[in-house]
Amino acid sequence: MILVIAGATCREAVRSRAFLGLLVIFVCGILLARLVGAISATDGNIVTTDLVFSLQSLIGVLVAVATGTALVHTEVRQHTLYTVLSRPMARWRFVLGKYLGLAAALALGQIAMLATGLAWLWATGAELHGWLLIGGLLTIVEVLVMAAVSLCWTALSSPLLAAVLGLATWAAGHAVSSLPGLIHHLDGCKQQAAIVLASLVPDLGRFAYRNDAVHRTPIEAVDLALAFAYGSLWIALLVAITVAVYRRKQL
Amino acid sequence: MSADAVQFRDVSFTYRGDWLQRIRALERVDLRVPAGSAFGYLGANGAGKSTSIKLLVGLLQGHLGEIRLFGDAIGAPRLRARLGYLPEQPFFYENLGVGEYLRYLGKLSGLSGSALDQACDRVYGLLDLGDLRERRLGSFSKGMRQRFGLAQAILHSPDLLLLDEPFSGLDPLWRARFKDIMAGERRRGATLLFSTHILSDVEDLCDHFAVIDHGVVLEQGRLADLLGSAPLALTASGPRPENAVDLGDGSWRLVFPEHERERRLAESLAAGASIVRLERQRIALEDHFVAKVREFHAAGSRLGGSSAERPS
Repeated sequence: MILVIAGATCREAVRSRAFLGLLVIFVCGILLARLVGAISATDGNIVTTDLVFSLQSLIGVLVAVATGTALVHTEVRQHTLYTVLSRPMARWRFVLGKYLGLAAALALGQIAMLATGLAWLWATGAELHGWLLIGGLLTIVEVLVMAAVSLCWTALSSPLLAAVLGLATWAAGHAVSSLPGLIHHLDGCKQQAAIVLASLVPDLGRFAYRNDAVHRTPIEAVDLALAFAYGSLWIALLVAITVAVYRRKQL
Repeated sequence: MSADAVQFRDVSFTYRGDWLQRIRALERVDLRVPAGSAFGYLGANGAGKSTSIKLLVGLLQGHLGEIRLFGDAIGAPRLRARLGYLPEQPFFYENLGVGEYLRYLGKLSGLSGSALDQACDRVYGLLDLGDLRERRLGSFSKGMRQRFGLAQAILHSPDLLLLDEPFSGLDPLWRARFKDIMAGERRRGATLLFSTHILSDVEDLCDHFAVIDHGVVLEQGRLADLLGSAPLALTASGPRPENAVDLGDGSWRLVFPEHERERRLAESLAAGASIVRLERQRIALEDHFVAKVREFHAAGSRLGGSSAERPS
């Protein structure tokens, strides 16, 4: 039943004009990236590759926040969930199915962007290597975590506020990785508070391998596995919170 | 099996709005929908009809009192396998086609394989959706959405059909068609519960009814009992009783309640009147409904009660 809901959600999402529109924006972006690479003072191919992967991440996160906040809220506002939840199904299955469907659609979009980006880089003479693929895959994990973050914020607040909080979480999540360097400057109580606050947001720096990938900096297999596990745990936690909130929500 | 498909016992429900705002939607509602009946749930907009139905379906939670479906307390998802629900002003995913949407909802109702194919074919035929099965629901008009809404509600041949304003947005032809389909579902053995504020629909389809206003059930029972309680009209010629109306052709007309039937007839005959006919006056459900609600409002005004806190 969860997979049935996920399938319908995915189909509905990938057929939307917004989804196709973002892919078009991505294509325009990578064309411009080549232009920027061509006029840059340093290695043009490196600059182009860096921009293509940054664009994949940026569009992915924006789509994740936008669709994650709208996912269940739109169902509630338009009453589309009435005909679904009136069937013999627990609400947690519905929320989980919706998330999985969104995750599948986002992953498809990301894979399409990654494939298009790599094809464009190859066509323009940039050197391709396996680290780029790993960098792209970790970006997908980051996007899926951000979708779960947005879904959770929507359960706890309004969609607009959830979008703002989602983007704030994204910014904080990337700042968390620089915390160990800063924490020594704080005294006892503040240090503890900073550690607690940092543990409340996902450390998105764990997925930001794309810049290293462009420069062929290797990533250990263990670190890669840990990053996937870390992302999965955060997704599970955030979806669980969302389920708990929607379980008692008046629709 | 319980004799009642639906039972509300002392059910109250309050919506939680922003901050501390609370809106009382149902006030100590007692309701019985006999299994196999066609039950018209009458009330003005905002009276509490949709809230009652949403509680039954499980879309709203946190009520006080007891709600039972076929004898079991609501809550368990498996009970909803016996329900078919058409929401008020239904909306559907815009980018899914009719066929794939129906199959999607059918699977969620536990249908699969040939049973799902047959169920889809049945509702395509009933609601003329066969030619539209590839069309996406985003392009549907209000009436077409309503047709799809009824199709998904009856797809799995439920035991209880909950239809919230089912005739909304339909043209006269489809209103008649909907009534035929609903009658057919009832013949199949399903219980119908539908909310409406259009009283002729209740007269056409229902054998039971309830009137709700401001979250309070004002009246419920068999429609036949209500119609049977209409006063009698005696037309006769000869000596005219004191309260009778002269019809001008030598005959007169006297209206009296059922319990005075024997006495009035005996008095007229004893006075030498010649009886032309005795007939039951027709109750206009609309007038009855308006009178009930006005009476309720007047009682509320006298007591200074607010909306749902008025006495029934």
